[in-house]
Amino acid sequence: MSRVDVLNGNLAAAHAARLSRPEVIAAYPITPQTPVVEYLTQFHADGSLPCQMSEVESEHSAMSILTGASLTGVRCYTATSSQGLALMYEPYFRASTLRLPIVMNIVNREMISPQTVWGGPQDSMTLRDAGWLQIYVEDNQEILDTTIQAFKVAESAEVLLPINVCYDGFYLSHMTERVEIPSQEEVDAFLPPYRSRHIILDPETPMAVDPLTNGRLLMEYRRKHMAAQQAALVAIEKADAEYARRFGRSWGGVIDEYRTEDAEYLMVSLGSVCGALRECIDDARARGVRVGLLKIRSLRPFPRARVIEALAGKKGFGVIDRNVSFGTNTGILFQEIRAALYSAGSRYPAASFIGGLGGEDLTLEIVAGAIKSTIETVDAGKIDNEASWLVRPERKA
Amino acid sequence: MTALDTLATREDQISPGISACVGCNVELTLRTVLKVLGPNTILAIPPGCMGGVGVVGWDKMSGAKVPVFFPLLDNSASMLAGIRLGLKARGREANVVAFAGDGATVDAGFQALSGAAERGDKIIYICYDNEGYMNTGYQRSSSTSKGSWTSTTPVSKEGSGGKPQHRKDFPLIMAMHDLPYVATASPAYIPDLVKKVERAMEVKEGLAYIHIYNPCLTGWGIKSDDSIAISRLSVQSRFFPLWEAHGRRLQFTVRVPKPVPVADYVRRIGKFRHLDEARIAELQAITDERYSFLEAMDRMGGGANAPGA
Repeated sequence: MSRVDVLNGNLAAAHAARLSRPEVIAAYPITPQTPVVEYLTQFHADGSLPCQMSEVESEHSAMSILTGASLTGVRCYTATSSQGLALMYEPYFRASTLRLPIVMNIVNREMISPQTVWGGPQDSMTLRDAGWLQIYVEDNQEILDTTIQAFKVAESAEVLLPINVCYDGFYLSHMTERVEIPSQEEVDAFLPPYRSRHIILDPETPMAVDPLTNGRLLMEYRRKHMAAQQAALVAIEKADAEYARRFGRSWGGVIDEYRTEDAEYLMVSLGSVCGALRECIDDARARGVRVGLLKIRSLRPFPRARVIEALAGKKGFGVIDRNVSFGTNTGILFQEIRAALYSAGSRYPAASFIGGLGGEDLTLEIVAGAIKSTIETVDAGKIDNEASWLVRPERKA
Repeated sequence: MTALDTLATREDQISPGISACVGCNVELTLRTVLKVLGPNTILAIPPGCMGGVGVVGWDKMSGAKVPVFFPLLDNSASMLAGIRLGLKARGREANVVAFAGDGATVDAGFQALSGAAERGDKIIYICYDNEGYMNTGYQRSSSTSKGSWTSTTPVSKEGSGGKPQHRKDFPLIMAMHDLPYVATASPAYIPDLVKKVERAMEVKEGLAYIHIYNPCLTGWGIKSDDSIAISRLSVQSRFFPLWEAHGRRLQFTVRVPKPVPVADYVRRIGKFRHLDEARIAELQAITDERYSFLEAMDRMGGGANAPGA
């Protein structure tokens, strides 16, 4: 039987990891992910998480240990944030190119400099081309459900790729919400044990893993890796559907839509700011403004077809990015959406916004302003080539 | 069974035809070590000479008969720690071994290695120290000797230059992690090396570390048939003493009561050709100082009268 509890995002992630029965965990604490490591070590000490656990001296070693462990064919889990993710970039890229289905929560935190510890998905979004699957979630229940599903997606035979389930530092990691925790039996029925079939370091079946490889063969690896990313589009939707059947909760698969059916305008974003967008959309709807939300859950693989479909027939859209894409004048998500539409030959008026960096609050007032501004931009038939900055007015002393 | 019996009866675990330089004593060392370790071994060969000559493999071919892989330059110890945890999770036992150059050990790989040592991850870490980045044309490492020419510590026409700092005493740094087993070894003392690999294999818990000093023919400017003679001189001059330590109980395994002058060793090596008397005297002084320190530790460990000495 499942039970209901009040959990912060980090505890929701830790419960998801525990219920997924990882065989090896290696982690290094970093704000705001630190409590995940504390919860897991406590579960381990209490006997409810019977795995091999290593408290390492750096994130570089955390990912290196999991790379090694995964090469022996076992299920692996870790979590990190920002500078820790940056430090593990070298083994991070390699985990995906070795096709190792490691699951890692990323508790999104802004990148230094200036010195900061607060939220923002710049850390993981910058690494969108490192070959991992990346899913962004909006609340604590979605953290738990998606992290369990992540093992199923990553380990499925047609995918075999590592996966990040990314959630906002502090806004989710340290805020408590009602969360339903499934029972171990229910999760076991959903998630069978993992054993590697494609790559293994085992004296019983000696194999050279990753010898020097010529470019032609390397390109074949890359092509198959890209195909696996596309296969993940299906695997994510399948896992969501099966999860919904067993647990009664669907998160929409690669995207989620809110009040989009008769919408003229769509607001597009990812992560916890989607909560504020829902509120503001309800307010706008009450005033007769036909606006809806397109939430991107899977940034990698990018859900091109479903984005095109969701925007079909709309007047235009606005994107709120809590990140920057240096050199492009806009955020990363705006670039991705525009690129997807170009491939469909579609040309929509579009507004680009950057805000909420470094944990800065995106208040309902600011988000409502972004919706208003989107409608003006779209009605004027413009396409932004430069983002508008969403900032709070400075407080008078 | 003597070391020579062991080597005569064990199967070579490295493929024939790997492309090491003629006379390379690292290849000899690797084949020796793997014969002792045997087939129930998972082998990490980070980027370096042994990776470059094909021990991991090329395309779809393997260079070893045991499972073998390339770690990154800097994560041999942590990848092996993960392999150990994975084997534990599966209820399996095997030798989990790194055979890594000094760059992958004393420079880029030090943090991961020190972390694994402190945690007590059960791995055997073997460093083949040829004093620098040899497979890319000999750039300096923190294991390069003072005064040595390297491609990044060049020597002027007048003979000045070479590396300004002396090599860090890495095996002692590892011993100060209070490991169950740390040893130094040389390709000129194969029975000693065989015994040390066997002792590393006997370790039940924690990391075993062996540091092998491998003079590099092409990088150092040594004739290929001088390879073993010069390796022996490095020990007989006390420049690279052979010892082993269980925790802090350190003992010499090859005692050198009457050392040859360091000059006799240095003069045989091309990379030191520009050193004048004064600079060689400096190397002699460093060698004497380091050896006295080890002698004191050896005395504390029981010296020549200690059991097993």
